[in-house]
Amino acid sequence: MKIVGQCYCGQVSFEAEIQADKVRVCHCVDCQTLSGSAFRTNVPVAQGTFVLKSGEPKTFVKAGDSGNRLLHAFCPDCGTPIYSAVPGDPPSYSLRVGTLDRRAELLPARQIWCRSALPWTSDLNLPGAERLERQ
Amino acid sequence: MKVTGGCHCGHIAYEAEVDPATLRVCHCADCQKLTGTAFRTNIASLPGTFRLKSGAPKIYLKTAESGNKRAHAFCPDCGTPICAAAPEPNPTSYGLRVGGIDQRAQFGPPARQIWCRSALPWSMNISGVERAERG
Repeated sequence: MKIVGQCYCGQVSFEAEIQADKVRVCHCVDCQTLSGSAFRTNVPVAQGTFVLKSGEPKTFVKAGDSGNRLLHAFCPDCGTPIYSAVPGDPPSYSLRVGTLDRRAELLPARQIWCRSALPWTSDLNLPGAERLERQ
Repeated sequence: MKVTGGCHCGHIAYEAEVDPATLRVCHCADCQKLTGTAFRTNIASLPGTFRLKSGAPKIYLKTAESGNKRAHAFCPDCGTPICAAAPEPNPTSYGLRVGGIDQRAQFGPPARQIWCRSALPWSMNISGVERAERG
């Protein structure tokens, strides 16, 4: 699937061909912290198709539990997370689904690191919880 | 409840008090973009309890559709979203990003969900998505 994406303030924009059948929800504690939310939602890019159209993301090198080094990119102005990349030629990119124009069409195929999942994330149709269409 | 929180790289640390039963999920399109995931998860600090212990967050001044302005704080080094508050010198309360709070697993399920009209449909129930305990 061909997508375009951008950060909230519009400085950073990109396009890519994504592997739409490989959307993943990640419940690891690092993804919770780095998204500020309950879990991260990622999708891998088909090799060699990521094109940065505008802006210059800031990058941060993150060492995983395994010792693997992963490059994390975010907008330096508004903080929107943009991608993670495994260094290589070309690098393997994984995009943050929230930034993609076609995010409403994407369904997760797998959840990982469920051992650290916040329990309420399984089902948000909670009896008694207030749900508003707007604010 | 007293909480501590901060960013992934350790630059920013704070402490605050919250009511653990007041978790909120926001499904608005802006929060999807700014977190990179399906929804934002916030909890409000009780009036006068937020204290920044280290680091200097970068501020992005966000203007909502309504014209309201909010100061969004994130780590300039690793991009972790920290909080949002009224853009004034000493705001009473801060909307803390739950993913960066050390005690987040102790919070109850969200008491309130807002902007449900733009929720990604799958995010309301992921119990049927294939699960792995690790990565």
